[in-house]
Amino acid sequence: MSMYCYSCGCRLSEKDFCTNCGADVGLYKKILYAANHFYNQGLERAGVRDLTGAIISLRQCLKFNKNHVEARNLLGLVYYETGEVVLALEQWILSKNLRAEKNIADDYINMIQENPTRLQTIGQTIKKYNLALSYCYQDSVDLAIIQLKKVLSLNPNYVRAHQLLALLYIHREDWEHARRELEKCKRIDAGNTTTLRYMKEVKNALDLQAKARGESGKRSSYSDEVVRYRSGNEDIIQPSMRRGNSTVSTIINIAIGLVIGVAGAFFLLFPARLSSMNTEAQDEIRDVSEQLDRKTGEVEELNQKISALESEKAKLQNDLDNFVGNDGTMLAVNSLLQAMCVYMQQPDNIDAVSKAVEEIDVNQAAAVESQNFQDLYKLLLEKAGPSIATTYYEAGMESYRKEMFDQAIEELSKAAVYDTTNGDIYYNLANAYRKVGDDDHAKDMYKKVIDEFPDTEKARRAQNILDEMTATP
Amino acid sequence: MINFEEELKKFHPSLEIDETEEAIYNEDLTDVTEVLIGMMQEAKQQK
Repeated sequence: MSMYCYSCGCRLSEKDFCTNCGADVGLYKKILYAANHFYNQGLERAGVRDLTGAIISLRQCLKFNKNHVEARNLLGLVYYETGEVVLALEQWILSKNLRAEKNIADDYINMIQENPTRLQTIGQTIKKYNLALSYCYQDSVDLAIIQLKKVLSLNPNYVRAHQLLALLYIHREDWEHARRELEKCKRIDAGNTTTLRYMKEVKNALDLQAKARGESGKRSSYSDEVVRYRSGNEDIIQPSMRRGNSTVSTIINIAIGLVIGVAGAFFLLFPARLSSMNTEAQDEIRDVSEQLDRKTGEVEELNQKISALESEKAKLQNDLDNFVGNDGTMLAVNSLLQAMCVYMQQPDNIDAVSKAVEEIDVNQAAAVESQNFQDLYKLLLEKAGPSIATTYYEAGMESYRKEMFDQAIEELSKAAVYDTTNGDIYYNLANAYRKVGDDDHAKDMYKKVIDEFPDTEKARRAQNILDEMTATP
Repeated sequence: MINFEEELKKFHPSLEIDETEEAIYNEDLTDVTEVLIGMMQEAKQQK
């Protein structure tokens, strides 16, 4: 710590005179050294909670050097720790006056002044303490004790209040409570002589008490009738428990506890657990049902799609069959094309064209709905029809002469398809039908001859035969 | 043996917060250095 000349204020060197003004500073420096020594002592004592000793040392320091700012700040702290707030404020304010800038006393003062609640609490504490003291002077010990308890609830570190309360307990010979208060004092301020003196008195009294009760001076008593122990601020006195058969009773108690626990778990926890499991199961079932419904719906939808597709497939297959010609439509078209091809290559070769046209199935050709097909077919028939008809007619007549009437009918029928202008074909066909006994078809053919070839010999003969057939039952 | 009355006399009322200012003013802040300086000045004057 730097030292400054008391005369000119210049910083002092290691010499015993001021290098600036020449003032004799030997003794002055010794005084300052002494002040520092007491400050260090005070600091050390404060460190080990000997606050009373620290106060003495720091006051001594200030007696040697009143401008020792650090000593004042520490002294203020120590006072604050012992509950003496006003004394603490005094020191901090003085310290701030000595050094206005960069002084921690500023923070300490602000800590108290800026909190109005704390300031109010401090004021109440002081008032109640003073009131308790006045009760003591008036011999109202109980009231004083009540007030002091309130003070200590507001400011638990107030050493003087603890000491006064301890004194009152000592006066009432309530040694245990007094001891407790003094213990608290000792925790705050270990070196306080008043505390130590009272503590000695209390210990002596407690030892005497313990001896009077025939025990070795232990704090908690344990007799056959009662058990005495402390819980916080309360003294608990309760009848003692017998220790006999403790192991058996412990085992029995454990067993009873287990039974109760299991029963409790079974009746309280199990239903709840069962209920929650049921709920979970039902939720699962509901989910599965929903999924099932959804799947069923999808399946139904797919089945409908399948039905629709199958019917479409059947229709398409039918169309395809029709187109391909399972009933010969495609064949008829192919045959016609072939016949057309032959006709175009050899238009004068009637035989070749006839053969090609004969390849066309008449029934299949009739089933084809295409007009173009029919026109083309008709054209070919005009070209090759008579020739084909003649061939079939001659073959039919040959079969007729050989009395192969069924074959004659077949051939003459074909001849009729290719040539509808030849009455002989119809007439001989009718005769063939009549020969095989198919009178209905015979009559049809005879009528055809009569209708389509009137005023001819064939028509007249046909009419005669028809009349005979009608007359005959 | 503790004498209650005697001990009670050692306990004094605490200063109230509003009394702080007065207490500061009444504080005797003379220290040894001031005494020494006074003594030295006196000695010089006597010379």
